Amino acid sequence: MVKSAQSGGKRAFYMSVAVLLVGGIGALSYMSTRPTGARIDTTLAPIPNQGHVIGSDSAPVEVVEFGDFECPGCGSFANLTEPDVRARLVFTGLIRFRYMDFPLSGHRNTRAAHLAAWCAGEQGKFWEMHDAIFQNQDRWNGETTRRPEKVLGGLARQVGVGMEQYDACVDSGKYMPQITANAQEGARRGVGGTPTFFFGKRVYPEPISYDGFKAYVDTMIAEARAAKGTKQAK
Amino acid sequence: MTRRMLTALVALVGLFVALYLALYKAGVIGTLACGTGGCETVQLSRWAMFFGVPVATWGVAYYALVFGLAFAATTERWGSSRGLALALVVLTGWGVIFSAWLTYLELFVIHAVCRFCVASAVIALVLFVLTLLDAKARPKV
Repeated sequence: MVKSAQSGGKRAFYMSVAVLLVGGIGALSYMSTRPTGARIDTTLAPIPNQGHVIGSDSAPVEVVEFGDFECPGCGSFANLTEPDVRARLVFTGLIRFRYMDFPLSGHRNTRAAHLAAWCAGEQGKFWEMHDAIFQNQDRWNGETTRRPEKVLGGLARQVGVGMEQYDACVDSGKYMPQITANAQEGARRGVGGTPTFFFGKRVYPEPISYDGFKAYVDTMIAEARAAKGTKQAK
Repeated sequence: MTRRMLTALVALVGLFVALYLALYKAGVIGTLACGTGGCETVQLSRWAMFFGVPVATWGVAYYALVFGLAFAATTERWGSSRGLALALVVLTGWGVIFSAWLTYLELFVIHAVCRFCVASAVIALVLFVLTLLDAKARPKV
């Protein structure tokens, strides 16, 4: 009787091991083979005119990044890939690039950095400040300091922002509602992490290489040309 | 089902959690099903490496070892081994200490919480309790 109960227990154990193995391997296989890049959502309206834009108004397409200044992935994109994107795609008139705020709640100092960038932007220095913030991420992030304002102020001075106006802007926090609104716009679009890129209606929810970025841009431009051709033909 | 069998099953769950994070770290899985961004923050921080190897990969090796030992302990050959029971207690005790350190880093250094890391910490604690109860139930020879 005891032996039979024991063998029953063993059988249940082996069955459980088998079920866990099959389920676990199946789940991991699914995760590793599912498309991690673009998904297409054709129900979304175009992104409203918020955030900061670099590039020509007449560029045929616009790429949007939802970014967090304290996110390491955004930093690596900004420091390693974005210079190429600007030189080869933005400044050549192929695309317009929009940066939308998406400060993540887990990052202690990110909202201060977003505000600093907006306050620099008030004086026409957003992109200079954007670059300085990302290049110096390790000097002001939540791991390094609880008081990022001093470092951010130093960066603002370094990029040539008038400090009296900058300080008044930071103290008033007047751009915080706009930053929150941009983050809400991202959440509405299903942004769950940063950086997330919108190539038109295609969404790429992670850091991307220049080659990958260019491939999506090429697709967007081809689609825009095809749509234009269709309109003209009509 | 015995405590050793439960230990093996829980270790197997831990193995898959660690494997998921290790595959993300290796670039096989593109995004983590995290939702908050905390998982990416933790996994991309400098604390996600230990002696040059991703912490998640250490986790895979750890859970595989616990699973292997606990599975062996369910066989007739090793079933009565108190030495194996003690080895499991030491191993899972180390797992709890390491997990506690990682949880401390998440809360007070990285300031982001990865839900898969929390799951792994809970699994490590459950393994320790199970192996402790198992060892206590085995009479000293």
